[in-house]
Amino acid sequence: MQLNDEEKRILDGAQGYMAQKCMKFLVAYGEAAGAERLVDINGTVDIHPGSLSWVAGEFPITQEEIEELARKGERFKVPTYGNKPVNPGLIIDGWETCGTRPNNDPEYHKRRMQSIKPLIQMGMVPTLSCDYYLVGTFWPTKGQHCSWGESSAIPWCNAVLGARTNFDGCFQAAYLGKIPYHDLHVPERRLATILVESESVLKSDMEYDLFGWAVGEFCGMEVPTLVGVGSPRTNQLVKMNSALCTGGQVRMYHIVGVTPEAPTLEATRRGAKWAKQTVIGKKELRAVYDLLNTAKTDDVDFVYLGCPHYSIEEVQRVARLLEGKKCRIATWVMTNPATYQLAEMMGYRDIIETAGASLLSGTCACELRGEYPPAQVFATDAAKQAYYIKGHAHPKELGVCYGTTEDCVRAAVTGKWQGEWREA
Amino acid sequence: MSEPAPRKIVLKGRAVIGGVAEGEALVSDRPLMGWGMVNDKMGYTVEKGHPLYEVPFKGKVLVFPGMRGSGGFIMYGRTRAFDTHPAAFVYTRGNSVMYLASMNAKVPTITDLDGDPVELIDTGDWVRVDGDKGIVEVTKKR
Repeated sequence: MQLNDEEKRILDGAQGYMAQKCMKFLVAYGEAAGAERLVDINGTVDIHPGSLSWVAGEFPITQEEIEELARKGERFKVPTYGNKPVNPGLIIDGWETCGTRPNNDPEYHKRRMQSIKPLIQMGMVPTLSCDYYLVGTFWPTKGQHCSWGESSAIPWCNAVLGARTNFDGCFQAAYLGKIPYHDLHVPERRLATILVESESVLKSDMEYDLFGWAVGEFCGMEVPTLVGVGSPRTNQLVKMNSALCTGGQVRMYHIVGVTPEAPTLEATRRGAKWAKQTVIGKKELRAVYDLLNTAKTDDVDFVYLGCPHYSIEEVQRVARLLEGKKCRIATWVMTNPATYQLAEMMGYRDIIETAGASLLSGTCACELRGEYPPAQVFATDAAKQAYYIKGHAHPKELGVCYGTTEDCVRAAVTGKWQGEWREA
Repeated sequence: MSEPAPRKIVLKGRAVIGGVAEGEALVSDRPLMGWGMVNDKMGYTVEKGHPLYEVPFKGKVLVFPGMRGSGGFIMYGRTRAFDTHPAAFVYTRGNSVMYLASMNAKVPTITDLDGDPVELIDTGDWVRVDGDKGIVEVTKKR
């Protein structure tokens, strides 16, 4: 890698031990990636509290080191957002109502929150969520270089905003304000090789979720251009992005006339013709729906909503569906901490809790590594959560019901699954 | 009559992580998933229906087309902490999370080869991965 004079000095230790260690990591990562240089981050970074000691290969960063930096008053160089805490997940709000250990233990909560504090002192905004971008309000603009680290969020940065990121959000990037320049930072790498046509205009959130999965499976790690999908709403883009990076690894896509780098079909294509193309319709969406629905019984014991973390519009929808009803089974509605505050102000927390469900923030059933109400059959409205939870439950067999938000709320109230798309 | 010499294939690619390692190939024609879908302590995928479901990769040369899903793919690198890591990675195409996983596994890794390793290498072939030179030498089982 070619480093400029400033970067060489950092590598030689002129800016101290931590800057040197972070630079060594960025150089090692850049060389592994085949990058020729670093780029200054003029957009944003996100980091997962709890991941810092083991993402860094030969150059791990310890909690003690971060505490020391915070004590000395050191700051992140660039706007930095807190993703969900990991290893394992942590319920930020509503933990008093979750009913599961260790998250319902006040001491545990206090200790974990304390461990995040040094990052906040250094300037990390405590959005503490996989969809921090829904509430962070400080979006990178088109063309800006970023370092994000969340599969469902990466397409928001690249495809929705037209900013540029690989999948590498980390402490080192936030501390130095630099990241290796490769892959999706490079304009040509952002162009599509695959054309995907939707057989009909997508309408419901679930259709966008299933479509995202099907596209992801077809494209793998390549960039597609999507045509015929319609005009997705925010929730639908969030769901589709999440599924694109579960069924596949689609970190960048174009929707002609919708996303910022897709003024015309031709403008999105790399080379003279498409490497491959397909049409995705009802049959393909049905195949994904059937893949996700594995429960052998209709008796649901646990409903999980909020993957990615619910937006205020989704919390509102669930509160309205639950108002005046009682849940027969354990029901979690997960959002991000900022939206939790809004939901509280709007009375939705009260409505949800009065119905016997929990409004929580900051994590998910998967990230809690098995810490959720006892269940044989799990119901959710997110393809990502539906698929992964079976792995997290392994070797235990966990049945999964996947469907619309309305299907899930109905199951919460009745204890029975009646999926809208289910075969009669 | 002597046995015919085993067939050899040499592939050239881009070294992600240096060093030399060899072992039996474990090949997946499907992408691998991390997060809940890999058990880093046991060293195998727990994705139901995956061709490598519960097949240990410790000490093998893990050959696969790429990843899909969560950044929890980094757990393939975390296997180093549990001594369940593969001897080397050979993948058709990489992305940033895969490079970071290789860095954490600290094993020779090669990608962007002059032939698709998933098509040319079969499970059980003997594979030598030279991450310093970017060369993969395959001795076919048959």
